[in-house]
Order: sequence, then structure tokens, then C-alpha cells
Amino acid sequence: MDYQQLLLALLPDLLVVVALFAALGVDYSRMRGSRLAERYQMACRISAAGLIAGLAVILVQLTQAWSFTALASMTDGQLELNTGTLTLKALLYAMGLGVLPLAKRDQITPQVSEYFALLLLATLGMGFVVTSRNLLGAFVALELVSLSLYAMTVLNQARRASAEAALKYLTFGAVSSGFLLFGLSYLYGATEQLDLNQMTGLTDEPMLVLAYLLIFVGLGFKLALAPFHLWAPDVYQNAPTPVAGWIGSGSKIAAAALLIALLKPVSSTLKDALIPALAALAVLSMVVGNLGALRQTNLKRLLAYSAIANAGYLLVGVVAFSEPGNTSVIFYILVYSLASLGAFGVVAVLTDTLGRDAEISDFNGCWTKTPGLAVAFLVFVLSLAGIPPLAGFLGKFYLFYAAIGAEPGAASWNDGFYWLVAFALIMSVVSLYYYLRVLKAFLVAPSDDGKAASIAPIKIGWAAGVTLCLLAIAVLALGLWPEPLLNLLSD
Amino acid sequence: MTALFTIILSFIGALVCGLMPAGAHHRIRWVALAFAAAGLGVSTVCCVNYSGGEFEDFLEAEWIPSIGISFVTGYDGISLPLLLVTGLVAVCGVLFSWTLESRANQFYAFYFALIGGVYGVFLSLDLFLLFVFYEIAVVPKYFLIAIWGGARRQFAAMKLVLYSFGGSALVLLGMLAVFFLAHDASGEALKTFNLLKLQQGQVPEADQQWIFPLIFVGFAIMAGMWPFHTWAPTGHVAAPTAASMLLAGVVMKLGAYGCLRVAVGLLPAGAQDWAPWVAVVAVINIVYGALVALKQDDFKYVIGYSSVSHMGFVLLGIATLNLTGMTGAVLQMFSHGVIGALLFALVGTVIYSRTKTRMLDELHRLIDRMPGIAWVFIVAGLASMGLPGFSGFVSELYVLIGAWGSLSGWIVGGAGLGILLTFGYTLVKIHEAFFRERKTSDPGDAEISYPAMTLPEKIGVAILLGSALLIGLCPWLLTDKISLSLERMLERFPN
Repeated sequence: MDYQQLLLALLPDLLVVVALFAALGVDYSRMRGSRLAERYQMACRISAAGLIAGLAVILVQLTQAWSFTALASMTDGQLELNTGTLTLKALLYAMGLGVLPLAKRDQITPQVSEYFALLLLATLGMGFVVTSRNLLGAFVALELVSLSLYAMTVLNQARRASAEAALKYLTFGAVSSGFLLFGLSYLYGATEQLDLNQMTGLTDEPMLVLAYLLIFVGLGFKLALAPFHLWAPDVYQNAPTPVAGWIGSGSKIAAAALLIALLKPVSSTLKDALIPALAALAVLSMVVGNLGALRQTNLKRLLAYSAIANAGYLLVGVVAFSEPGNTSVIFYILVYSLASLGAFGVVAVLTDTLGRDAEISDFNGCWTKTPGLAVAFLVFVLSLAGIPPLAGFLGKFYLFYAAIGAEPGAASWNDGFYWLVAFALIMSVVSLYYYLRVLKAFLVAPSDDGKAASIAPIKIGWAAGVTLCLLAIAVLALGLWPEPLLNLLSD
Repeated sequence: MTALFTIILSFIGALVCGLMPAGAHHRIRWVALAFAAAGLGVSTVCCVNYSGGEFEDFLEAEWIPSIGISFVTGYDGISLPLLLVTGLVAVCGVLFSWTLESRANQFYAFYFALIGGVYGVFLSLDLFLLFVFYEIAVVPKYFLIAIWGGARRQFAAMKLVLYSFGGSALVLLGMLAVFFLAHDASGEALKTFNLLKLQQGQVPEADQQWIFPLIFVGFAIMAGMWPFHTWAPTGHVAAPTAASMLLAGVVMKLGAYGCLRVAVGLLPAGAQDWAPWVAVVAVINIVYGALVALKQDDFKYVIGYSSVSHMGFVLLGIATLNLTGMTGAVLQMFSHGVIGALLFALVGTVIYSRTKTRMLDELHRLIDRMPGIAWVFIVAGLASMGLPGFSGFVSELYVLIGAWGSLSGWIVGGAGLGILLTFGYTLVKIHEAFFRERKTSDPGDAEISYPAMTLPEKIGVAILLGSALLIGLCPWLLTDKISLSLERMLERFPN
């Protein structure tokens, strides 16, 4: 094994690990007696430095200054560094970087360095999940993500609801990990391979069908697919808002990328056996998510139901089982995550001084107090709703395009995926009702200044401001000009 | 490239107006007027330069080649009248909102975003691009109605948006089917959204049978087709004047344009099979809209339902599938765009701002109390009714002649009945509003006479009524261009 090459390949991750320990060490030694705000400042800076350094190295790797072609086979698929996976990893690091200023604003816990260390660990794990093609490696990395997220959910110890949500998250998550591991072990048992690159043409023997069904349960939990979604509304509502944002974006990207990687070796017979299960999950998630969201009065809960619905749309691209389908799924989860993180970012900035859960009506009259944030939120929510020219529309369009393109002939109504796409389109129309209800609070309703508890004009801070601005620009730019990213992802 | 400036200017206008300080409504309205007038100027230039038949001002660029999407724009005789009417209504919308003060910067930001989307639809020659612009035009409508609208605005705004997106969902599905099923003469799949290339190829006839209703109904919802028309009256009534002018004047035309350009243009065989059904629905639109208008007490609802009725003529013209009828349909889009916008402006701003009511039983003897305005409204009402000399007469005549040629006598009879009913409700409502004595006597109120029209209102009325008159007297200014391009479309019809 060429250790120098391995070192270069893992340099971004090493830099993040160094930053992680630096943040912990500095916080426990030099910053011991400092004020909370200063400790947050320091931990945030160190973490940001680590992620920026890591990101820079990934960008260099992306230019293919170093070649990693042989790495996948040398490491049994533990590390598959090609343009597509490196792009995903770079975007994950960049989004993780965006979470940091939001976490810094919301000083919920005295365990400062742990908070940032966990954030970095989660980001690190996501980076590994998307670059790994090895069953065990990917599973361990996914667990790293999940465990960090469980712990971060409960960081705000002043809130009992947080503890309850974290416990739910942990128990559901542990069970689902069990299912996933069980499924992966069946997959290994049937193929005698851990390296996904070595698997091809898996047929519809019962063992494999069972393996994939178990995998769907496990990953369905991570993606918040109905009926494995029950944890999501509570966790989204009660986790610290930046953490909820990171659960709703980064971890989704990792899980979706893993799902696509696992489904790549499937042959057409196995595909036909799996499609009914996937289609059922898609329909159920769209129904549960969209109808559930209609009734919500809490914005973070509403975003949780929207996440469930969006996971349903995502599967419409998965059932295509084609190259465009796979690219569309990754593209969609990316643009969804950008918009979702942005929406959570706006909520975090607006509510971290409120001291309680924000109801939708608390945002009334946002356009008078913070017009910039209201416009940013408009961009994020319209992207989630799939309105052009924002990226969410193109993402959704691409999913439907791939689904119909998989089998375009239509002799009868249930040929191909016309019915599934039609269903998803109807559900998108339903979703507009609740997205517009939220936007109505932000942009239409007059501010009720009589109410003492509504949000007050606040200082956004440059880091959070720049983050939200960049996210909004990214959402718009990817809608107008997605071609470069599509090319990178389809490599 | 010239025509593209309509879109660019509108979106720049949205940005500029949106970034101006909210308090500066005196400056904002001038800026808005400048951008709207620039758009009108560009579309007039396009109209004057246009020679005939083919697509002009053609622009083609790659956009998202990995999924067959390109950026293709251009215009022909079918889109020209609609570009023109968009420009006219945009300018007049600003003029009739001259006194708007509340959140003026945001108002014009949404206003121009909507107009930019509308121009975009009329100029797009790529199905995907057309759809993108079509959807861009929807969201601003929500905010225009929900923020600046009148009674029941939240309900009306939400209803309108859900209907619009319901329609687009159908269109999107049909559009994807066309993309994957269209093939060229040798049977090879085209895999393109480019309308011109799709027109060269064809979709298998069996598939046209089910794709045509999807796309047609999807677009026709926005054109106010019965039974999906109910968003239109509620939306028009709740919207602020400028928005209801745009809704009636151009947004409903987006739907009709989509029906004509995409549904009929790409799926001729499907159109031929479904045309009788479309004609039946169109006649229901005409008759039903007129009957309901007859029963309304709110002046704005009368105009709202009259829009539904007049859009029936557009649909009927499309259903004739012959040159005369379809020319009439396109001319009717222009005509109703101008006259419908004028009526909404008169009822929503000119009369309402003075009387503070739109209920017909509260208005009485306006002819004595606002004689100038009353006569303008009467002329506009007669123009809408189809008085010879105005564009509405020419277009409805074309449609009826076309229908006589290709559709059954019952259809033509129904449409004729609709015209009689139109006479009925127009005259009855004019009588109720302007000539009738009020039943309950309130002697003090009857003496009030109202101020005359302001200068912006006069200019707006002159522009809209003038263009209806101009086209009524010289219809060949538009019909020559329209029919040359329609001939190209009809050439591709089987048999």
C-alpha cells in the first residue's frame, strides 16, 4: 500500500480531526476561565479553520493534481475518491462550515468545545459516508454521523423536550441501525463482498431482496421516509435549531448518497422486485409529509413534515434505476439540503433570542423588521416548494424526468412511472398551501407589535449573514445554471 | 435579441423597484412607469419590424444540455399581439395605481416579476423555458393579491395559486411525455424540449390522445375554462386594480396561448380528436359566464364573469382548428386583454375610489354624478359587448365564421345565444349602475357629485380604448401577421 497516497487522500479528514482536538484542547486549557461568548468564538474559529483547510485540500484533490484512481481497489472500496464523491464531500464541508456561525450565535450550552467537536465529527462522518464504497466503512461512518447527532440534539439541557426528543431519536435510530446492519450483513452473505464496486448484477434471490428491504428500513429512518419518520417532527422541533438544520441537510445527503451507492449493483430482475417497495415508501412519505404539514403551527415541525415529503419525492428518482436517476437524486438532495439549511438558518437567527419554540405566527411582519431575512427565507421556501427559477424546481423536474425517462412508453396507465410522477405533482400542489402559509407570515401579515413575545429586530452578525446570503445565492444559481454541478455529479 | 429586452427590462425593473426605499412612492411610480413603457416600446418595435410568417428575432443557446434543455426565444405573429397587449396593460396598470402608497417598492417588485414571466412565456420557444416563465408568473400573483387585495384576499390568493399550480402539474406531466415520446420522421426519439424541433417531428397518434387533454386542460385552467374557472372571478375581485388588470388582461392569455402554441401546435392529431369537446366546453364558458354575470350584485364580479365568458370565445376559436377561427382566437386574446383590463381599471379604481362601493344596488344615477367617467365606462362596456368599430366585434366575428365552417350548428347557435346574453348583461348592468334611481332614498347622498378623472387615469383610458378602437378599425394591422403564422401551424395538421 502506498501510504503517501493514502495520507494525501485523507488529508482533509486529518485536518478536521486536528481542528477537533485543537478545539477541545484549547477550550479546556487556555479558555478555561473565559466568558461563554469568548469560548464560543474561539471554538468556532478553530473549527472553521479546520473545515476551511479541509475544503481547500478537497478542492485541490478535485483539480486532480493527485490521482487516486487505484485507491478504491487498494482499500477495498473504503475510499472512492472521484469527481462525484469529492464534489459531494466538498459541499458537505462547505455546508458544515455554514452551520458553525449559526451554532455560535445560539449559546445554549456551557459544553462549548463538545458542541463544535460533535459538529465536526458529524461532518467528518458524512464525508466518509459519501466517499466510501465499502459496506462496513460506510456503516461505521454513518453511525459516526448518527451518534454525533443524537448527542447534539440533547445539548440544550435546560429543555426537557430536548431530552425527550433525543431519547426518541436514539432509540429509533439504534433500532434502524440494527436493521441496516442486518441488511448489509445479508448483502455480504449473499455476495461475499464488502466492496460495492466488486458487486454487479445482483439478481432477485430472496436473500438479496430481504437484504435490500432491511436496508430500506435502516436508511428510510435516516432519510425520514414514512413510516419510519416518527422521530423527525419531535427532533426537528426540539433540537437546537442549527443542529436541526444539520440533521435536515448533511445527514440526508449522506444517507441518500449511500442509498444510491447500494442500489447501483442491482440488476433488472432485482430492480423489478424492489420497485414496489420503493414506490410504496415514496407514496406514503409524500402523503404523510404533505398532509401532516398542513396542520402544523410550529415552523420547525412544519419543516420536518416537509422533509418527510421531500424524501418521498427523492424516491421518485431512485425508482428510475438509471444514470440520470442517480444523478437526479444526488442533485435533488443537495439543493434540498441547501434550501433546508438556509430555512433553518433564518429560523435560528430570528428565534435564538426568543427563548421558546417559534410558532409560525411569531414571524408575522418579518418584512418590516428584517426585510433581508424575509427575502432570503422566500428564496429558501420557494426552492423547497419547487418554484422556478430556484434550484428546488430543477431538482424536482430532474427527478420526474428521470422517472419517466426510465420507461417512457405508455400503453396503459400503470406503464412506467407516469402515475407516480402524477401523484408527486399533485402532492407538490398540496405542499404549496403550507409553504405559502409560512410565507404569508413572513411577507404578508402586518407585525403584531402588541404581542410581547414576537421576534424583535436583531443583529444578524456578519458570519451568519454571509452564510445565509451564500446559501440563497447558491439556491438561485443552481436553478439558473445547474450544468457544471450536474456534470461533476454524473462523473 | 430585441424582444429579449422586454424580459430583461421587466426583471431589472423588479429589482430596482424592490431595492428603492418604501417611503419613496413618488419616485417609485415614475421608475415603474419608465420600465413598463420601455417594455411596451420594445414590443412595439418588434411588432413594427416583423415581416411575416416565420419566427423572428431568433436566439438559441445551450442551457442544460444534459437533459435536453436549451434557451430558445423568438416570436411570430401569434406571440406579437400578446407581447403588445402585455406592454399596454403593464403601462396602464402603473397609471391606474398612481396613488398607491403602501409598500410601493414591494408592489412593483412583484408586479414586474409577474410581467417578466408573462413576456417570457410569449417569447419562449423551448417547452421547459416556457414552463419556467409560466411558473415564475404565478408566485407574484399570490403576493399582489394577498398583500394589496381587497376583501377575502387571502382566500382568493391561495385559491388562484393552487389552481394555477394544479394546471401546471398537468402541463409538466404532458410535457415530459412529449419529450420522451416525440420522434422524427425516421422514428428516432428526439429527446428535446425545443418547440421548433418538436414541431418538425411528431408524437405517436395514440399517445397524442391522452397527452393533449393533459396539456390543454392544464393550460386552459389558467384561461378560465369551465369548470375550472372559479379562481378567476374571486381572484379578479380580490386583487388590487393593477393586478386584476394583469390577471384579466394577460395572465388568462398565458393559458390560452399555451393551449394554442403547445397543445394544438405540438399535438395536432390529438387536437382534431378533442376539438368537438373543447368547443362544447367553450360554449358553456360563453353562456354560463354571461348568465352568471347577469346575476351579480358586485360590479367587479360582473366584469370577472364577463372575462370567463369572453375567454370562451378564445377557446372556441382554438377549437375550430381553421385559419379564420384561430385568427379570431388570437385577436380575441388581444381584444379582451385590452378591454378587460380597461373595465377592471374603471370599476376597481376610477369608480371605486370615488364611490367607495362596488355594489350595484348602492350605486345609482352615476350618469349625473360622474358624467365623464360614466360615458367612458358605457363606451368600454359596449366595446366589450362587441360593438362594431372595436376590436371585440372583429374577433368574435372571426371566431363565429370559423366555427360555422368546422363545428356543428348547435355550437354556433350556443355561441350566438352567448352573444345575446352578453348584450343583456352589459346593458342591464350599465343601467343599474349609471341610470337607475336608488330604491332606498338617502337625499343627502344623491347630491354628491364626484371629481373628474385624474390625468394618469385619462391617459390610461385613452391608451386602452384607443388600441381597441385602432384594431377595431384596422384589424389587418394584426390579423395579417397572425394568420400568416397560423398558416404555418396548420400546414402541419394531418389530412
